Amino acid sequence: MARRSAFELLRTPRPRLPSTALHVIGIALAAVSCGMLLCALLELASTNMDTLALVVSGVLLCIVGIAVSRCTQPSEIRSPGQIFGVVGWTWVTITLAGALPYVIAGTFSSTGAGLVEQVVNSIFESASGFSCSGSTVLSDFDTPGRGLMMYRQATHWYGGMGVVVLAVAVLPFLGVGGLELVSAETPGVSSDRLRPRVSETARRLWVIYACFTAAAVVVLFAVPGPSLYDAVAHALSVAATGGFSPYADSIGHFDSVAVEIVLIGLMIFGGTSFSLHWRAVTRRSLPHFRNSEFRYFLALLGFATWFMVAVLWFDNGFGLAESLRAGLFNAVSLGTSTGFSNATGAGSIGDYVTWAAGAQMMLLFLMIVGGCTGSTSGGMKVMRMQILGVVMLRSVRQSQTPRAVIPVRLGRQVISESIVARVAGFFLMHFLLVVSGLLVLTALGGDFETSLGSVVSALGNMGPALDQAGPTSNYAHAFGQPARLVLAMLMIIGRLEIMPILLAIVPYIYRASAITRSLSP
Amino acid sequence: MRSVDAAPSADSREAADPAAVAGQRTSLDAQPSADSGEGHRRRWPTAFAGRPTVRIESWAVATLMNGGIAVGATMLACALAGVGDDNADASIFAAMGAACAAPCALARRRVRHPRRVSPGRVFGGIALAWTALVAFGTAVYLVTGVFSRIDHALVESAAGFSTSAVTLLDVDDVSRTVLLWRAASSWVGGLAAIAMSVVALPAVLRTTDLIGYSTGRRGRDLSPNPVVGSRRIVLLYSGFTAACMLAYLLTGLGALDSAVLGLSTASTGGFSGRSDSFVSLGVAAQTVATAAMLLAGTGVFVLWWLLRGRLRPLWRSQELRCYLLLAVAMTALLMLQSGVGWREAAFTATSTLSTTGFAMSDWTTWPALATAVLLVGAGAGTMIGSAGGGLKVMRARLLVASAGAELRRQLQPRTTVLVRRDGEPLPSETLERLGGHQIAFAALIGLGAVLLGLGGLSVSGSVWTSVSAVCTLGPSVGEVGAFGRIGGLDWSARLALVPLMMAGRMSMPPLLAVLGAGIEIQRHVLRNMRLLGRSAVSAVNAQLDEMPHLNRPRPASDAEVVDTASAAPDVGTAEKSSAAPGTEAVEKSSAAPGTEAAERG
Repeated sequence: MARRSAFELLRTPRPRLPSTALHVIGIALAAVSCGMLLCALLELASTNMDTLALVVSGVLLCIVGIAVSRCTQPSEIRSPGQIFGVVGWTWVTITLAGALPYVIAGTFSSTGAGLVEQVVNSIFESASGFSCSGSTVLSDFDTPGRGLMMYRQATHWYGGMGVVVLAVAVLPFLGVGGLELVSAETPGVSSDRLRPRVSETARRLWVIYACFTAAAVVVLFAVPGPSLYDAVAHALSVAATGGFSPYADSIGHFDSVAVEIVLIGLMIFGGTSFSLHWRAVTRRSLPHFRNSEFRYFLALLGFATWFMVAVLWFDNGFGLAESLRAGLFNAVSLGTSTGFSNATGAGSIGDYVTWAAGAQMMLLFLMIVGGCTGSTSGGMKVMRMQILGVVMLRSVRQSQTPRAVIPVRLGRQVISESIVARVAGFFLMHFLLVVSGLLVLTALGGDFETSLGSVVSALGNMGPALDQAGPTSNYAHAFGQPARLVLAMLMIIGRLEIMPILLAIVPYIYRASAITRSLSP
Repeated sequence: MRSVDAAPSADSREAADPAAVAGQRTSLDAQPSADSGEGHRRRWPTAFAGRPTVRIESWAVATLMNGGIAVGATMLACALAGVGDDNADASIFAAMGAACAAPCALARRRVRHPRRVSPGRVFGGIALAWTALVAFGTAVYLVTGVFSRIDHALVESAAGFSTSAVTLLDVDDVSRTVLLWRAASSWVGGLAAIAMSVVALPAVLRTTDLIGYSTGRRGRDLSPNPVVGSRRIVLLYSGFTAACMLAYLLTGLGALDSAVLGLSTASTGGFSGRSDSFVSLGVAAQTVATAAMLLAGTGVFVLWWLLRGRLRPLWRSQELRCYLLLAVAMTALLMLQSGVGWREAAFTATSTLSTTGFAMSDWTTWPALATAVLLVGAGAGTMIGSAGGGLKVMRARLLVASAGAELRRQLQPRTTVLVRRDGEPLPSETLERLGGHQIAFAALIGLGAVLLGLGGLSVSGSVWTSVSAVCTLGPSVGEVGAFGRIGGLDWSARLALVPLMMAGRMSMPPLLAVLGAGIEIQRHVLRNMRLLGRSAVSAVNAQLDEMPHLNRPRPASDAEVVDTASAAPDVGTAEKSSAAPGTEAVEKSSAAPGTEAAERG
């Protein structure tokens, strides 16, 4: 038998394992590793402290990702459970893999934490990054190198549009179930196809996203204050409505009205549906103001700003100008689920935990609502709140005329009952998760206010929460290690809008209960 | 409850007398008494008086009169009990009670429930009755001089009738009459709530199957018709209250304490004649209170089944199982978390779950999980048919089941997933309405938290107090505390509690109906304003047309036509949009062809 060369062995087509989940996971890992290697280059060129950690992690993930994707092939997706499984497990995997650079670099060892706590903190930071939350357990912002901090920002960017969307974009042959995959990952009520082909849609979404990020870099760099590094770091964060900043006091580091105004515009842009942006570019018109969700979104931000300015002015006794600055910035930051803070220190006007409780309740409401569907922001989304409001009003009318059949309308459009049922189910699940999360966090030692705010913040991918987890505080001080893991899980659940993670787990529960039933006499 | 007694007799009479049925909407009725039995007796006084008796058919007025009679009678009873303690208070109460009960009793004879009534009117009547009760209670506190400020009197009255355990009273300084009145106001509120949920709403919403408002098979068993249902409810509720009083007496408490605690326990009012609630009372009284609160939270259906010896519905009731399971789970968690004994844990758990609000220790200092568990318990609330508040255990269970069904539906989109109540599948419309009510419930709590936050409460205090007020519990973490003392709150926060407690007490359908009525009024006003504006614009335009110096001469050529059109294009558009079709037609016919073409262009 003639010996074949290694090259021929590689070229020989081998039977691949049919598994869409593993295939997408492989591609996602490879994509994330590219970011790590790019950040390693930056680290090498700048501070050169964590280069090794980034290189090792990047190479490792690249090899694993390519190997997994080469050994597998997309299979036909037959059930919704498989779709949710693909999305859910991909996110869990990249969250765990994304924690690798922090662990290798020992980013969280400066506080004297043991290995387990370092791993827990790394997972929390990674989950917060990929889910675009912006919550942090990092207390020493000077120790990590610039490359590692940029990687931290880049995790937001990957998570903003979604790694599965990226996988669908680069895999035209993943036709079967592609739309469902995108729908399961993209925030919103229903998926909006920009192009007939799903992969083209996904690619266009990424193109808009990349262009928006580039524009944000240019605008931020043009404003006096931020350096190019700052501009890129914050652009990656704001495009994903994430909230990470390389500085401990976030945007308060610049203490610049111009920077805040620019960021307000960028955050609103990021909190708006990318489909609208695409239509605006392709049709050279502004469809935004014809969209009722966007109008409500702006109205909500306007009302929240007015409310908080009034509270800060009358109740807290701040001046009108600084009340307007703090109220507007925080309303937009939390209303778009970004989570930037313009507090210049604990107790300053931007530190909203010092505001009157009424204003904090309004912020909590904004955290629950979030931005528009089809955007990178978190929360329940404005459209869902609109539908829920209409459902409530329908109940009002049905109380007077119980037999009336009243359709749910948004503007002139009648919303189908199946969507209404899905939205109501989503609201229920959200509500139950908040209650369950509150019970779990308080059981793990959190106080009531911090736990409530943190659960709402984690599910809405907000970042800062209330009381001890406020904008100038740190989650490491507010919660123990198990609670941080719970919050990390809630962030991923919130990013995928609850269902995919739960539905990825539910089949196993069914299977386990079936096995238990079969074993019982 | 007299009113409901009167309804069927009137109905049966009307059925026997088609002429009366035909004429009943005219509100002039030759038959003076709805409650009398025979036809010739009915005609007798009319013949003597020589004038027809005016009869009003109104659900709202009849309910209001019933409420007035109940409150008047309660006041007279309080006055009687207070004789010898503070005679001034007793005499004022007697006078006010008589002044309330007598006119209402007289007027009630002229008012009857209509045979058919729309849900909107029923809900409106309920809202009106609650508002009138609270207003009257406020007047009582002001007239007796217990409070000199109207906001204090209003909050106390609202807390009483809504069965919330918050108070501004200094119980050591007020007379026996006032103490009893405060507890009795909770009792009246509890009775009204049970009557509303078991008799009034199911009768109106029978066909709609609205969860918690249509009581289903068990409702028909207890309340086959409004008369019988009302009578049974009054008997059950009074009997249970008397049993509570007797049990407290047997534990060694005085008559006043027993009466106050009995009234407060049966109604889940939570008002105690002592400033420290149950702290200084003995173990026996605390044990009796625990059992009585648990039973009060189960509602009249369970009492009915127990009295009739029907164990099967007791055993099969999902709601009862959930309620008891919640009580046990809460007790266990409180024991584990706060390290207190089972008696204290059980007392606090049942007090919160039944939304009563008694306290035998300051539980607000317990660990965060314990207070969070209590918050969830208060939110889940009591069983349907009880005087307690909250979302109600059945609805909470159905909402959780709906969430599970939604998960399964997502996994298996082609599968029909059913949600069942006591084994019976529920239609999707019912669950949708339930979802709408849950959204309204959450929105109300959120709005309340914002208002309370603006009133100076902390964030956790705002959330807790809002939930507590809407669920008619009373005590809360933070500024209010375990004993429900709200004297330290800002006046705005205290006033914010009033609508929250009332909204929680009225339950969602009447509240939503009031909201709907408000929306309708707003729409009506807006529509009228718009029409008024249009007619004003039309009138102005008509006036302008009539002015000769503004009327342009007819165009002589096409060029002039174009000039006319371009000179005032907006006026033409405004005329078209504002004028009525008839007017437009007249204008078109009167105008020259060229002008018309120009306007169209």
